[in-house]
Amino acid sequence: MPVGPFGIDPVIWAPLRLVIAVGLALFLVLNGALLQIYLERKIQAIIQDRLGPYHVGPFGLLQTFADALKLISKEDVRAQATDGWFFVAAPALVFCPMLASWVVLPFAQDIVGANLNIGLLYLTTLGSMTVLGIVIAGWASNQLISYEIPQILALVSVVLVVGSLSMIDITRSQAGPFVNVLILPFSFVIYFIAALAETNRTPFDLPEAESELVAGWLTEYSGMRWGTMLALSEYGNVTVVCAIVTTLWFGGWQGPGVEAIPLLGVLWFTLKVYAFILVMMWIRATLPRLRIDQLMSFCWKGLIPMALVNIAVVAVLALAFPTTKIPVAIASWVLLVIFVTGIPIVQRQRLRTLRARARAATAPAVRAAS
Amino acid sequence: MTFDFVEPVVFALLSIGVIAGGVAVVMLSRITAAALLMAFTFLCMAGMFVLLGAETIAAFQVLIYVGAITVLILYGVMFTKFGDRPRALFFQRQTPLAAVFVAAVAIPVAIVALSFTSAPPRPGGGDLIALATSVFTDFAFPFEIASVLLLAAMVGAIVLTKRDDPEEAALRRRP
Amino acid sequence: MTVPLGAYVVVSAALFFIGCAGVLVRRNAVVILMCVELMLNAANLALVAFSRKYGSIDERGSVFVIFVFVIAAAEVAVGLGIILSAYRNRPVVDVDEIHQMKG
Repeated sequence: MPVGPFGIDPVIWAPLRLVIAVGLALFLVLNGALLQIYLERKIQAIIQDRLGPYHVGPFGLLQTFADALKLISKEDVRAQATDGWFFVAAPALVFCPMLASWVVLPFAQDIVGANLNIGLLYLTTLGSMTVLGIVIAGWASNQLISYEIPQILALVSVVLVVGSLSMIDITRSQAGPFVNVLILPFSFVIYFIAALAETNRTPFDLPEAESELVAGWLTEYSGMRWGTMLALSEYGNVTVVCAIVTTLWFGGWQGPGVEAIPLLGVLWFTLKVYAFILVMMWIRATLPRLRIDQLMSFCWKGLIPMALVNIAVVAVLALAFPTTKIPVAIASWVLLVIFVTGIPIVQRQRLRTLRARARAATAPAVRAAS
Repeated sequence: MTFDFVEPVVFALLSIGVIAGGVAVVMLSRITAAALLMAFTFLCMAGMFVLLGAETIAAFQVLIYVGAITVLILYGVMFTKFGDRPRALFFQRQTPLAAVFVAAVAIPVAIVALSFTSAPPRPGGGDLIALATSVFTDFAFPFEIASVLLLAAMVGAIVLTKRDDPEEAALRRRP
Repeated sequence: MTVPLGAYVVVSAALFFIGCAGVLVRRNAVVILMCVELMLNAANLALVAFSRKYGSIDERGSVFVIFVFVIAAAEVAVGLGIILSAYRNRPVVDVDEIHQMKG
């Protein structure tokens, strides 16, 4: 009679483990959102040289509790439209795929909800389901769909080098300090920027800009519906995206002392994930917003061509030199340098042409006026 | 206690979901509800693919059908919202003929289908590697044709729906 | 006790014929497109069921399914393009009324 972990019958352990994983994921999502809302406000405040929440609880730590209580106790205002049940279904459709994606995040050596051998594909799939929920909620989704493409291309380039879609395998393929970001920094940059846009974080958050949207669909969702969709789903998504980044490029749960104490991996994983979350908040507090057409043109004319070039180069080099990873690394760093230095040059050129065109357009008017 | 009954029970639930979703798409007069129930059908279909052991295909099913095609159809529904017909569906000209046709073909197919026997069950374990090897080695040429097809469809869709700029139209009208 | 192949084929056939009936009966162009997608899905189910149950080494059925996905996606895009541009000319989606080729 095979014995599973903790002496439980393996046949019971399989579904039980999944239930525990989902329950734990829900717990982590809720608490994570709580923590991240507070962190966001505090960090934005510190960067902007003000105080942030400090009234409720020590250092304002209980502020989010107060906000959540307020949201829960609000009146449930329902739209009188004919498709009222879209209105009810949309928050669930946005939240559930995000919750389902926690199942494949590798917290430590054996601590993962389900070690799917298509783990990364599963995450991509759930990301596309979120788009459906957002379309039903009435949000503009062309930004989400556009930025999925460079995201997937960047992920695929890592898979090309690692050779597996399973999150655990990808983490284990990074031995010691030689994490994948040293080999594929360009993919990391592409993925990070695309993920910022996917999760609607600044500088790509025009659809949810607080200072610019007063009317529209957002005002119809009140109380916990709004809370679920905006706070929980967004911060849950941010956490999942940062978890993907740490797993793929920064070694996941690995860190000093993990071989001896496997549970230490959870600590390292959480620390790395929150480091990236803090970077995202830092970016939000620092950079201004892009206009919607700038957003789209950056994606289609900037990120996607570079992601395609990246994938082509990585694929060719990974096939040509299957044993070493050094050519791929060199090519990737070269591409990154080209990308980073190329943007100012391209932008300066575009500015010059725009100015010339503006001058040509107003010249007849000036001549007519004088 | 063995959990052998899980697979047929899940199959029964999923097939009920698939058929119910299909019937709903055909019979509902509210298009938006029909579109969402079509997405539900696609999800149950993905579940059946997982039950068969084809997880990669299930992931692609959700990615393409639920994630993209449903969104496209919702956009189509939103832009051509002509008002759902209040009249019931059954009083149309073609319905009796359609029913006869469908029954005449469906019943023999069902009888034949039930007579299929399958080989002994294969070990599960996903189909990703076999699929990928097949697509890129044996079926490389159809793969390339499929990508050209996608390009043609993309260009075609853009050309079909592009609004004429008034300046471009004026440019074209100028001799 | 595993599910026999015949069950999958019956479900696939049922869905196919439901979709077929929908294409024949419904008049809204977008709904017809949705029913066509149902038929394609039914075909996919049959392909995958046969491929997995009969144990082909190189998963040919599933490979075909991938191509069906590609073609379905392309077809929905172009189909909706046609519907939308026809809708722009005359705002009807009732296929009984869009039967003249003259604009």
